[in-house]
Amino acid sequence: MPKNNVAIVGIGQTKFRSKRRDVNIPEMIYEAVKMALDDAQMEPKDIDAILIGNMDHFEGINFSEMWCGIDAAPGYLKPVVKIATGGTTGSSLGICGYYNIASGIYKKILVVGWEKLNEGGATTGIITAFDPVWERPSLAGALGPLALMANMYAAKYGITSEQAAKVTVKNRSNAANNPFAHLQMPNITLDYVMNSQMISYPLRLHDCCPQSEGACAVIYANEVEAKKVTDNPAWFKGVSTAHYYTFGTDDIMYNLPTATIASKKLYKKVGIKDPVKDLDVAEIYEPTSWSELSWTEALGFVELGGGGKLLDEGITQMSGELPVNPSGGVLSTNPIGATALVRFAEAAIQVMGRGGKRQVPDVETALGMGFGGSLWTELAILGKDPSPLR
Amino acid sequence: MGKKEIEFQIKWKTDLPYNYSIGKLAVKFFEELKENKSIMGSKCPKCGKVHMPPRAVCADCLIEMKLEDMVELSPRGTLEGFTVVNYPFIDPTTGGMRPFPYGYGIFKLDGADTYMMHFVNETDHTKFKIGQRVEAVFKEKREGNIGDIPYFRIIREG
Repeated sequence: MPKNNVAIVGIGQTKFRSKRRDVNIPEMIYEAVKMALDDAQMEPKDIDAILIGNMDHFEGINFSEMWCGIDAAPGYLKPVVKIATGGTTGSSLGICGYYNIASGIYKKILVVGWEKLNEGGATTGIITAFDPVWERPSLAGALGPLALMANMYAAKYGITSEQAAKVTVKNRSNAANNPFAHLQMPNITLDYVMNSQMISYPLRLHDCCPQSEGACAVIYANEVEAKKVTDNPAWFKGVSTAHYYTFGTDDIMYNLPTATIASKKLYKKVGIKDPVKDLDVAEIYEPTSWSELSWTEALGFVELGGGGKLLDEGITQMSGELPVNPSGGVLSTNPIGATALVRFAEAAIQVMGRGGKRQVPDVETALGMGFGGSLWTELAILGKDPSPLR
Repeated sequence: MGKKEIEFQIKWKTDLPYNYSIGKLAVKFFEELKENKSIMGSKCPKCGKVHMPPRAVCADCLIEMKLEDMVELSPRGTLEGFTVVNYPFIDPTTGGMRPFPYGYGIFKLDGADTYMMHFVNETDHTKFKIGQRVEAVFKEKREGNIGDIPYFRIIREG
């Protein structure tokens, strides 16, 4: 059991866009940090330590916490720790933040994820994250392997391109309700997605996430400190993480077993028996439309192969029993180092009831998911109180 | 409309050389590939799992595999999934654009328990089928790197 309950008490995110040519990296980070501090009614002096992360080689830089963790985030004369784990960077930050408070090491910390993807090349950067001798020569970044996974998944369970395209329509329609979301396509149609260019069969352009620039900052506090600044925090009920094999090809992982392992552990800890009934909203990390269908199965929302049915029945729609990605998800916004932290932040926003047009009514319990690396999964469940469900 | 965007440019053209240690099992793999066109995996002495690429530690058992645990695999395998990569990006191994479109598959070589992803010489996705047999094609002049197998070809029936 944790020594301390952990709350999210402040959130800041930039308006995500394709390019933020108007600011450099520290300036962009500062925007989110300032918003989070203001939101928590804190000054830089109130923060005990900084956790900051991105995937440096996506921008062709290195050790960026040295020059971003001091000016942009209030790290002067404080502990600053960098975390970089690929797509899960944001959730690794989010989970490390939890442990830093839960363990009693710190009382209040600032957690920042960011990326400025169009200053480099995401696909090129992702290739350099893999084994230089064995994997780099044929790897096409993330989308090649995600296309293989979609191909295998579709063949195994008879999922259709149309069902995948419906995920994009759902998530990008939701994004139109989120002022921070990158792609704003309020009038998106199934035909538009289905007629977009095939970029890696079976993935069409609009089956895939964009490349975004932006930052997300979240302030964590223990119970004593949280009560000083807000009467409406989002509490962590639990976190869970599962990592997998050495090479991406060590197993056929199209059904993301790490999500099954991590979610089973977490549901048990938090007292969730039926995630569709017991969770009120989920913010999941879907790099492609096909991934969302598959991940909803791996997370136990429906049996294996039932992801298409779950969508067709409207359960994951805004009006459904378990809305998935009211923010628009990763299909609408993907600043890689921030992406999974945005999932946790959006889950917290839903619990706090501060989602505006994207708010799901009466949220008590919300799931946030990070995905990345060697098909890793990291999860957090947030709620109006820190206790497990009855 | 708005003011034209001003760009200040600094251009780099720099080689950044790295020298990676690949381990004894990989040395053996590339020697065998170069000299004999053979593909070697490593077999865990405890659980018997055959790993491709070969490596020194079985992740399931956390025990060491040595040179004598290397076994020869078939150059043929069965296709589990495929795609045709059809988007532009800079290849960090060359610094230039990776030529596209290219076929790309995941398959298990006969005798291996893990899968591999590699180029497949087919760019029409309608010509692929899960379950097709594929075969490694070797370069005439081999240099001892994975490029000695430039691609796998689909074995057409009949």
